[in-house]
Amino acid sequence: MSQAAASPALEVRGLTKHFGGVYAVESCSFEAPAGQVTGLIGPNGAGKSTAIDLVSGFKLPDRGKVLFKGREIQGLSPHHISRLGLIRTFQAPREWPGLTVLENVVMAKWDASREGFFRGLIGDGRAKRDQSAAEMAKAREIIDEFGLGTLRNERAGNLSGGQKRLVEFARIRIAEPELVILDEPMGGVNPVLGERMAMAIEAFIATGTSVIVVEHNLPFIERVTQHVIVMAQGAVIAEGPFASLRSNPVVVDAYLGEMIRR
Amino acid sequence: MTAYLVSITTEGAIFGIMALGLNVIWGWSGDFDLAYYGYIAVGAYMTLVLTIGPATPPAQYILGLQLPFPLAVVIAAVTAMAVSLVVGSIALRHLRGIYFSIVTLGAVYVMYVIAGQFVPLFDGYNGLSGLFDPMGDVLGLDYESYQYFFLGVSVVMFVLVFLFMWRVSRSRFGMALRTLREDERAAAAFGRDIYRLKLKGYILGAGLAGLAGGLFAAYLSAFNPSAWSPVEVIVLYSAVLVGGRGNIVGVVLGVLIMGVVVQESTRFLPQVPILGELNTLHPQVLLALRGAIIGLVLVLFLRFRPQGLLPERRYVDPPLPAIEAAPRTQSA
Repeated sequence: MSQAAASPALEVRGLTKHFGGVYAVESCSFEAPAGQVTGLIGPNGAGKSTAIDLVSGFKLPDRGKVLFKGREIQGLSPHHISRLGLIRTFQAPREWPGLTVLENVVMAKWDASREGFFRGLIGDGRAKRDQSAAEMAKAREIIDEFGLGTLRNERAGNLSGGQKRLVEFARIRIAEPELVILDEPMGGVNPVLGERMAMAIEAFIATGTSVIVVEHNLPFIERVTQHVIVMAQGAVIAEGPFASLRSNPVVVDAYLGEMIRR
Repeated sequence: MTAYLVSITTEGAIFGIMALGLNVIWGWSGDFDLAYYGYIAVGAYMTLVLTIGPATPPAQYILGLQLPFPLAVVIAAVTAMAVSLVVGSIALRHLRGIYFSIVTLGAVYVMYVIAGQFVPLFDGYNGLSGLFDPMGDVLGLDYESYQYFFLGVSVVMFVLVFLFMWRVSRSRFGMALRTLREDERAAAAFGRDIYRLKLKGYILGAGLAGLAGGLFAAYLSAFNPSAWSPVEVIVLYSAVLVGGRGNIVGVVLGVLIMGVVVQESTRFLPQVPILGELNTLHPQVLLALRGAIIGLVLVLFLRFRPQGLLPERRYVDPPLPAIEAAPRTQSA
């Protein structure tokens, strides 16, 4: 992984978080290479979700550093980290249910210059109106790409679970972060839609968004990732290409065991 | 009858401003704020102490200035916003849902008790009075024509507030507030500073409450703790709920139904023979009946039409041949 050492999209050093006496994440360190898809796998309770919460600012770490674009971001608030270009999704889809699909996608693009209260009062100037129109056109295009074109005026809360996942992917496409962390995107998703998601992840890479994906669906991990990090009991126990992990006895013991023997 | 209509329309316009302010906080931002009536009271009290002149003992209150009424109302609204900044910056930081409501309920009772018990502030339970026909003498209006003048002032203010809210409703600021109502963790994940955004909405709503409170003080010409109880806010909530939470046209419709029709219909009840003695207790019976009707309407709407008569409208993208004509792609 020479290019990984050159410019990691995300670097985590000695990250630690405990809840009472339970160490959810303990001295966890890893790097996610830029321009690639990194898988984050491990048994339930390995600390994957907590690690994501710590990286994205939704929880505060006890110790350790998170470096994004060479900048320490641990302890910053979620919106601050998001504005720097690191966007995450959640285990359950978190659409804005009362807003339409189109509104969900358009509002995923945060823009300080158009969202202030006084801007709302005096209205947008011509330049900003043009910008809004261009963004709207782009949102329609992305929604159509995900096969939701005819549903764009539907309230997002009325969509199926799989369609909500696609809305989340469409939001990320328009927000164009430098790094996205997908938390179990395949949860409750059928194989056909899974293929569409795999292609969407490839599209993220093509548009300059690095990806970290947490997932229990190992065929999916094998299909989309170039690099995999294995966590167990709050720490990283192995990393490398998925193929190399199959034969790693530590990984087999901690996580893959049953699947490989089958 | 004309005098009655003028009076009821003035009151309706003022209630309309109050409900539009509440709609920012509850309808868009999504917080069930029970301190709201406190901001109306702050607006009313401040307007009075800024216009009625020095206190004559034994009455006592702060300031006692004789500012022009419009300036007084502006200062009163700003004061209400300042109070809401204090309450909001505590209550909105980490608390949501019922926990937020309980803290705001506590806050409004603190305001209520201070207004009633701390006499040097607003003369305690006696309250303030003496704001007769503000701007009337400057304009040389007699009592009769002044009622029309003040109706005009109230209606113009209401229309201005409505147009202003219309703009905010469609702005990205208004949309951002709604993303907080819909799912604030997702809003944070996409760059929204939840706390600051909610606080902005809260202060905006309180400013409208203060403005309406100032007009209300002039309409009543007095204000004291018996003129407001924190539970009055329920009437405003019922108006927003019945009309359509988040939809400003709906909110106005709700004010018309709950604030005007329901409130006033009880005024015209015939004497009921079987009530006998109770008919003589009319005012109390009316008040109780009003509360009962509002409660009943609230329950019925929550059960059968929680979105209100005019649900919040969403932007509808016009049909596009490029998308609609294409063969339906395989859906999930």
